[in-house]
Amino acid sequence: MFHWKKIGKVFTPQEVEGRSWMKEFAQAPATLVFDDFVRVYFSCRPPADDNGQYVSYSAYVDLDRADLFKVRHVSEQPILSLGGLGEFDEFGIYPVSVIRHGDDVRAYYAGWTRCESVPFNVAIGMAISRDGGETFTKLGNGPVLSYSPDEPFVLSGPKIRRFNDTWYLWYIAGRKWKMVDGRAEPVYKIRMAFSSDGIRWTKMNKDLIPSRIEEDEAQASPDVFHANGKYHMFFAYRYSNHYRGEENGYRIGYSSSTNLTDWVRDDTKAGIDVSDEGWDAEMISYPHVFELDGKTYLAYLGNQVGRYGFGLAVLNGKLE
Amino acid sequence: MLKWKKLGKIFDPTQHELPNDCEQFAQSPQALVLDDFVRIYFSTRALDKRNGKYLSHIAFVDMRKNLREVIRISDKMVIPLGGLGCFDEHGIFPMNVLRHGDIVYGYTCGWNRRFSVSVDTAIGLAISHDNGVTFQRIGDGPVLAASLHEPCLVGDGFVKVISGVFHMWYIFGIGWKRYSPDMPPDRTYKIGHAVSADGINWVKEEARKIIADRIGPDESQALPTVIEIDGRYHMFFCYRQSFDFRKNCDRGYRIGHAWSDDLVNWTRDDENLLLDVTPGDWDSDMLCYPHAFECDDKVYMLYNGNEFGRYGFGLAELER
Repeated sequence: MFHWKKIGKVFTPQEVEGRSWMKEFAQAPATLVFDDFVRVYFSCRPPADDNGQYVSYSAYVDLDRADLFKVRHVSEQPILSLGGLGEFDEFGIYPVSVIRHGDDVRAYYAGWTRCESVPFNVAIGMAISRDGGETFTKLGNGPVLSYSPDEPFVLSGPKIRRFNDTWYLWYIAGRKWKMVDGRAEPVYKIRMAFSSDGIRWTKMNKDLIPSRIEEDEAQASPDVFHANGKYHMFFAYRYSNHYRGEENGYRIGYSSSTNLTDWVRDDTKAGIDVSDEGWDAEMISYPHVFELDGKTYLAYLGNQVGRYGFGLAVLNGKLE
Repeated sequence: MLKWKKLGKIFDPTQHELPNDCEQFAQSPQALVLDDFVRIYFSTRALDKRNGKYLSHIAFVDMRKNLREVIRISDKMVIPLGGLGCFDEHGIFPMNVLRHGDIVYGYTCGWNRRFSVSVDTAIGLAISHDNGVTFQRIGDGPVLAASLHEPCLVGDGFVKVISGVFHMWYIFGIGWKRYSPDMPPDRTYKIGHAVSADGINWVKEEARKIIADRIGPDESQALPTVIEIDGRYHMFFCYRQSFDFRKNCDRGYRIGHAWSDDLVNWTRDDENLLLDVTPGDWDSDMLCYPHAFECDDKVYMLYNGNEFGRYGFGLAELER
């Protein structure tokens, strides 16, 4: 079992002022390390509209590299504008995953639209930054990864990585919409696609991680990190029913692989769970592993899927 | 010069009992020529009792090869609509059929309702092992959907195998626009092209508009059909203005034409079509949804007239 030592919540969106589009939520942290700060991308929301509907924007916060609890800067604007009428990302850009590519920074993001019979649909888009990740331009008005026979809806939660000159995209694909108390709830599973250019993707069309707690377990945030000769995946999982509270809510799972396609799930190794009390006592989700100055960190969300921000844990020992 | 002789309306859905409680509409007729008869698929409509909106269903009529006598109407479900949240949940319109050895491929255009715009569409594949009486989807999701530069409304696939390669001509949306504040948004779509080795995995030309506009940038082009006549490929399609096209017959659908010798470059040539509205007749205001096919050495075109085919489809024969 890994030993993650929680070091606390590092960012609280409610403390940021002067941004009407950032009232609450700081979801799905994704890092980009600079010389003297760590830029953490996340997704936030303005207040809900009159119908109680939210939109999501993505933004970043720069944390001091010498003291990650010191916020140096929060982006003045969202990094991307929402899509136009009828486009896949008209009602939300969440989450976003970033990677350097030469002088560029690429962002892969999930775009949200709203539907009539189910609340939403999601597909994955791509954008490029030429100013070090401050502003991004979408590569097109449509998605870079969309629906296919075996992945009919809700392609979300992209995590972009590059290993051995091949681009890998881990993401989730919807399996079914389940009616729970008159409300359609999505069930999704972790999937992968690969590419030589990061634009044209070949899907594996396979569930990578077996379901553990129930057949309709929903899996999210497949965060892959290479260390000590192995690929480590931390992810989040939840029950399909009544998952907005503590009992059936998100927890963090773990699996490992030596070849990126065959994964062995062992949640007992994850080494991080909800706290007895505090900001992460009900649920923990959206793990993201990064290395900084000889230490391995895990950024994650707490109660209400990041409504009050994200926190960090630091690893005692090695990922192996 | 392609001169068509109109043979009149050959099928009126209000004169027959239709499956799925459908009453009106026989849209986008598409032919499967069998040994002794011609099976003509069309889209008909049922009312969605939950909200009074339409659901399009596929049905067929078998006709003698004189294309006058009706043998029978499909009496069971040709293909069910898609499940909750799927791309084809709210209608299949149209379906293009293609014999491939012992099986029949059905390329469906699936409709799903959206929140900010009325619908989105994508192209699915279903396969028949019983000569086209019933079809089973290869998956819950589409084979051709929105992509980086084709942001919405991928539909109206027409597939032909030429020299061992599957070619699909289809339409993609370039965007939605609200032309006046009190009207719902309208869409504009153009004809595109994709190829495939197996009819399942497609490579798009990605937003190349293969047919030049004739009535300006707001021209919407729909339902391409391609046929080889005397060694040259001819495409028929319908086109209209993007708004005020339903009731204003000067802005409604007409049938357009283009030809190609290499399947890459298409020359638009509507004047050499000689098929126009007939004042006072069933197709006095509108001509749409053409489908060209060969039967007993004759070249025919099925098409819809007024009100997008509410009262059926007609036939024209190429004069040679």
